[in-house]
Amino acid sequence: MSAAHDSHAEHSGQPHSHKAAYIRLGILLTVVTAVELALPFLKTYPQIWDAGQPMWMPLLVALSVFKFGAVVGEFMHLRGDRGIYKFLFLSPLAIAATIFLLLSTLAMRLFLPFGEGLAVTAKDVQAGYVKATKSSGAEPPLADEKFNAAFADAKSKQFVDGKAVFVRVCKVCHGDMGEGKPALGLNLTDDCYKYGGTFKDLYTSVADGRAGNKMPSQGSTLKSEEIRQVVYYVRSLKGTNVAGEPCVGDKVAD
Amino acid sequence: MSADLAATAPAEMAHDHAHDHAHDHAHDHDHDHDHGHADHGHHAVVENNFMGQPNIKLAMWAFLGSECMFFGSLIGTYFFYHGKALVEPMPDKVFSIGITSISTFLLLMSSLTMALGVDSMKQKKRDMARNYLFLTALLGAAFVGFQVYEFSHFVHLGLKLSTSLFGSTFYVMTGFHGGHVTVGVIWLTILAVLIDKGKLNPVKLPINVEVAGLYWHFVDIVWIVIFTFVYLLEFIQ
Repeated sequence: MSAAHDSHAEHSGQPHSHKAAYIRLGILLTVVTAVELALPFLKTYPQIWDAGQPMWMPLLVALSVFKFGAVVGEFMHLRGDRGIYKFLFLSPLAIAATIFLLLSTLAMRLFLPFGEGLAVTAKDVQAGYVKATKSSGAEPPLADEKFNAAFADAKSKQFVDGKAVFVRVCKVCHGDMGEGKPALGLNLTDDCYKYGGTFKDLYTSVADGRAGNKMPSQGSTLKSEEIRQVVYYVRSLKGTNVAGEPCVGDKVAD
Repeated sequence: MSADLAATAPAEMAHDHAHDHAHDHAHDHDHDHDHGHADHGHHAVVENNFMGQPNIKLAMWAFLGSECMFFGSLIGTYFFYHGKALVEPMPDKVFSIGITSISTFLLLMSSLTMALGVDSMKQKKRDMARNYLFLTALLGAAFVGFQVYEFSHFVHLGLKLSTSLFGSTFYVMTGFHGGHVTVGVIWLTILAVLIDKGKLNPVKLPINVEVAGLYWHFVDIVWIVIFTFVYLLEFIQ
């Protein structure tokens, strides 16, 4: 299958056919694809599938790199072909792979959870936002650029803005420091969250209110931007432990 | 005619010069073989560069190199914004692994038939090569058909180009890939029809089929990457 082999065959007249080798490779590629497809389905078997194990993603990547290499090397004949073709193809490929890796890493760096120990992911924000817009129905979808800028800038600006919203809307019931008021508002400075401590939970509490207590729905009075800001701020109060209302609900670890 | 003759002379010289090298390229020999019984009457050759490589193949590899960066940035952008969409539907809600794996299999098999087509052409089995090219184009067209179905299904679920970051990055990435497949299908169909009608110069035919094959395989490897990184990883996280 190498070039040397090829040119020998051509020298002696009719070139040697690779048909059998191609078909073998085709079958191999099919099998590899089938294995790739089987991996997500293994999820339904917890005794085999352990989501905590990080081996699945590298395995999937390795299989696709193998397929990539097989098609380029054998079907496209690059393996035994001239160096100039390898250079022309592989050097831009290396640049492309570098760009790809940089973009993926950069994305992880930029969108790290923000706030001290605040485990908010972009998915939480989406879910909270979608729920809020569905429940209020008035707010048009936020432009993606605006969201990303806000998300990246969250550490500095939004806590300040959030505090302004808190002072305006929340402190009446939750107290100046978020310590809570008897029969009105829960203590927001301890580790307990009656309705859960994720971004989504807090967002829902503010936007929709909570049935069975005095927490009102703010979905129609606050903009979604303001709700997000105040949620960031409230979540940052966790662990300041101002003396006030007692702990209600489950303790949240982070 | 005269242009062809003019092109012959330097190529012939380059050929002689390169003949000392053991790894002289196969197509020079194709030229030797076909020259005698080329029924077209003009002296067409595969135009080589000064090092003896066919220009057209060199150009295709350079083009594919640039395509690597083109698709690399599109897939990279998809990942940069992955999970940052604000509005439903999210990827795991719309992707259907069953349908996509069928179309993936079709494209993979089209790469096999393409390789067999190039192989047949090198052995001068022209009819067989034509059949393989038709089959490849057919599999590619089926792939495009699946993609059209997939896109219309996604739009039905509420995912449009302007819906969210997911919609924008996904449609631009897979749309450009589908466009490449469509170009490939048209290219292969034209090539197969021309082979069928005997309109192509037999000297240039093998290299033309080989270069079309390179393009086709490249389109396939782009899909290998997209299928693994975009579709499967969504279900494995």
